[in-house]
Amino acid sequence: MNPEPFLQLDRVIHEKGRLAIMSLLAATPQLSFTEMRDTLGMTDGNIMAHMRTLHEAGYVSVTKAFQQGRPLTTYSLTTQGRKAFTAYIDLLEQIVEQTKKKDK
Amino acid sequence: MQENWAAEHLQVIRTLMERSAVYRRALAPPMTFAGLLGTAAAWIGWSRDITTPRAFVLFWGAVSIVALTGTFILVRRQAIKAGEPLWSPPTRRVSQALLPCLFLGAVAGVLVCLQSGVQSLPAVWVALYGAALHAAGFFMPRGMRLFGWAFVVAGSGLLVVMALMPFDLSPHAIMGFFFGLLHLAYGVYLYFTEQRRNPA
Repeated sequence: MNPEPFLQLDRVIHEKGRLAIMSLLAATPQLSFTEMRDTLGMTDGNIMAHMRTLHEAGYVSVTKAFQQGRPLTTYSLTTQGRKAFTAYIDLLEQIVEQTKKKDK
Repeated sequence: MQENWAAEHLQVIRTLMERSAVYRRALAPPMTFAGLLGTAAAWIGWSRDITTPRAFVLFWGAVSIVALTGTFILVRRQAIKAGEPLWSPPTRRVSQALLPCLFLGAVAGVLVCLQSGVQSLPAVWVALYGAALHAAGFFMPRGMRLFGWAFVVAGSGLLVVMALMPFDLSPHAIMGFFFGLLHLAYGVYLYFTEQRRNPA
């Protein structure tokens, strides 16, 4: 098997928690902190840590606002984040395809 | 094995993206409820001879409010049971997609109230309801778009037939068939297929 696609996998995305967050954000324009926490069943601290990493990598944008007097933090994928996520999926598909060819 | 790992990762991503984007509440209970309500309302409307435009629109307007309230309660119960927020992003998108056509249907009802003759109103409502379901279907399982298309085609067909060769069929019968019996049939169908699709 050609190991190259595997080595090219984006290490920022290639972590269980961050991959889950990227997957959710890829399918929806934006998600609030609460929605993300409830959907993934992660702790607040866990989500915040992953978000910080994704934000620093330029993959996620953060919007802070107030709704009915309460703070509301929403997240969305940046263009760079969407490209990185698409590339990550493409590489995974390449790995799967390579295996199928090898099996034949 | 690396290859298995890659395939499993893709499956996890697909599941998470669906969870975030696709409306996953079971549709069988609200469909069956709407079907029973629609059938009963059609029978009441026909037997009580509710035929004036104003009474017809008010009667079916009230039925639609009961249907929406019942649906809301059923969906809320499912959300609580699943430990998920009721106003989730997919729910929000489905509601936003439904709203324009349902609003247009309400406006059409008010216009009929001000004018006379309700004969073509059920067909207009059927087509608009179908358009609403079709729009919402982009965020729901694929069957909903087909169901919406069926209403759009049937509603448009009825309008054409009524224009070319007017017939004397009770508007309540049309309402009962589309908003009652068809929903009931779809609800029963979903009871079996949804359970099979979501065994958990």
